Amino acid sequence: MTHIDPVGALRAMLMIRTFEDTLARRKEHGFQLLSSGEEAVAVGLASALGAGDQLLTGGRSIGPALARGVAPERVMAELLGKSGGMNQGRAGRGHMSDPEVGFFGAHAVVGGNISIAAGVAMARQLDGDGGIVVILFGDGACGAGALHETMNMAAQWKLPILFVCNNNQLSVSTTRDAALAVANLSDLGATFGMWTRTIDGLDVQGVAAAARDAVRYVRDGLGPAFLECKSIRLRSHSTTARETRSRAELAELQTHCPIRRHADALQADGMLDDAQLEQMRQDAATEIAQAMAYAEASPYPAAQEVLRHVV
Amino acid sequence: MLYEQKPVMARMFFREAVTRAVREEMTRDPHVLILGQDVGSFGGSYREFDGLYKIFGPERIRDTPVAEAATVGIAAGVAAAGYRPLVSITYMDFLMLGFDALINYAAKLRYKTAGGLSAPMVVKTTAGAQGQGVAHSQCIEAWLMSVPGLRVVAPSTPADAYGLMKTALRSDGPVVYIDHKRLFPTPGDVPVTETSIPFGQACIRREGTDLTLVSHGYMMRVACDAAQIVAQDGISCEVIDLRSLAPLDIDTVAGSVERTGRLLTLEEGQTVCGVGTEVATRTFERTGPKPWMRIGALPAPVSSNPVLEAACIPDAPRVADAIRTLLTR
Repeated sequence: MTHIDPVGALRAMLMIRTFEDTLARRKEHGFQLLSSGEEAVAVGLASALGAGDQLLTGGRSIGPALARGVAPERVMAELLGKSGGMNQGRAGRGHMSDPEVGFFGAHAVVGGNISIAAGVAMARQLDGDGGIVVILFGDGACGAGALHETMNMAAQWKLPILFVCNNNQLSVSTTRDAALAVANLSDLGATFGMWTRTIDGLDVQGVAAAARDAVRYVRDGLGPAFLECKSIRLRSHSTTARETRSRAELAELQTHCPIRRHADALQADGMLDDAQLEQMRQDAATEIAQAMAYAEASPYPAAQEVLRHVV
Repeated sequence: MLYEQKPVMARMFFREAVTRAVREEMTRDPHVLILGQDVGSFGGSYREFDGLYKIFGPERIRDTPVAEAATVGIAAGVAAAGYRPLVSITYMDFLMLGFDALINYAAKLRYKTAGGLSAPMVVKTTAGAQGQGVAHSQCIEAWLMSVPGLRVVAPSTPADAYGLMKTALRSDGPVVYIDHKRLFPTPGDVPVTETSIPFGQACIRREGTDLTLVSHGYMMRVACDAAQIVAQDGISCEVIDLRSLAPLDIDTVAGSVERTGRLLTLEEGQTVCGVGTEVATRTFERTGPKPWMRIGALPAPVSSNPVLEAACIPDAPRVADAIRTLLTR
């Protein structure tokens, strides 16, 4: 995709938000890592990727997987542990993958997927197929040694990998400023001579434009790049984690919601009226209701399958 | 047959057997790569990759910075994406830095993707004491045996080093291949024709009737020396080389213990939750309880101090004493 379709971007963000809200409302959903407030990062980034590219993420992976094009019903079934999930319900929250659509997978050890992604990028480089790899991680991973080791090797070997930090500014309860000494997280990439940029991660069109630039740089074989997207987390760390912020703080954060902001912008530009917006909301609700119905109808794996696929 | 046909053998050092296996597999399969510290023109810390860099070049043999965590992770990633990397971790102690990618990612990848992805990688690492001190001498293979999805092998002869490496580089999941510092300069016969040794097959190195002595890696040499010592007293030991720790060949061990009635396990690592404890438990599940003892390092770090190192690690006289003690039970 050369330019992001602004209306399509809104539709994609609404679908992610509706998906996560629906999942959170279901009883017995297990604990989940939701990404409300981070939809613009997932959708803007995915708009810059091609069919031969691979996306890897940390555990907060629902939005990125959906934005990349994994079928919502397969994601929903996977998160609920059902056989109809893309990994037959075995991976679940934080570990799902669907390489055929370019989502190589999530890995819920913070920072743990970064070196894996560099390995996938090494394979792309050896294959010489022009494909690139994107690794999406949070600000929490920026203190992890694996990131620093991997950035060094990726820069040294000019691997076709784009490091994207979705800086939602909270690592469970620890603020980014309390945890990380660097001024901008993209400075970490600059240390290794990478193309870097820090942008507003709540602006889906801005994310799309920056991601496009970064992807072009990496695809041209110039080496790795590092894009920091400053976003917000509208929910607690996980659906079972205590919220550490006050109601007033959360209410203030809601005024920065990337979906509301983009919808307002489209309406201000005359690209969207109230009726169309309402229709998009309903379409998202219908699509996700169908995804949930598929997941609910899908069976759990049989207990005897516990020893399958171990070695 | 008028005469027995024996395979033609070539004499080579342990390290040369490793090199040969890797060279053959890199020639056969362009997806085989080597990653690690000083594996390129230097040829590996123990010269176990001697000459390969000249043949296969910097694309397929990559020197890495001192970054075990990322190196093992990159290997797991490139494996998941279709290659067959061999990662060299100079000392097994340093493998701890790579546990996240190896254990949390590679060993679980096939399971969590329902067979969709796997990480066919070999972590070749060197265990054991040879004067290098508390953080360069450990044998932690027992930790790894308990990880579902991980295979662990530990050759003791050049022929096994060759045959097990061939199998490791063709395996469809992560393999930890453990050699030992003291084994690299040891010679042995290796078949001239290409062969491989399947995982999960122990080998009876010496037949005997009074007691079964089970070990692996460098301690096999100690085991054979001890068996030789007690043979002078008329004691007949059956000595079994496990070769493969996961999967473990309990059939061979249990069959031997049924015949001899006694089990002695020997390892260079710690005995607490050790290889020997696991072997004994699984053997006695088959045979019922039998007299047994386990020998391993004393419960102390392994110092580079020659007196303390020797005091910590089992040697042949100590094993011979244990054999005599066990025979009184």
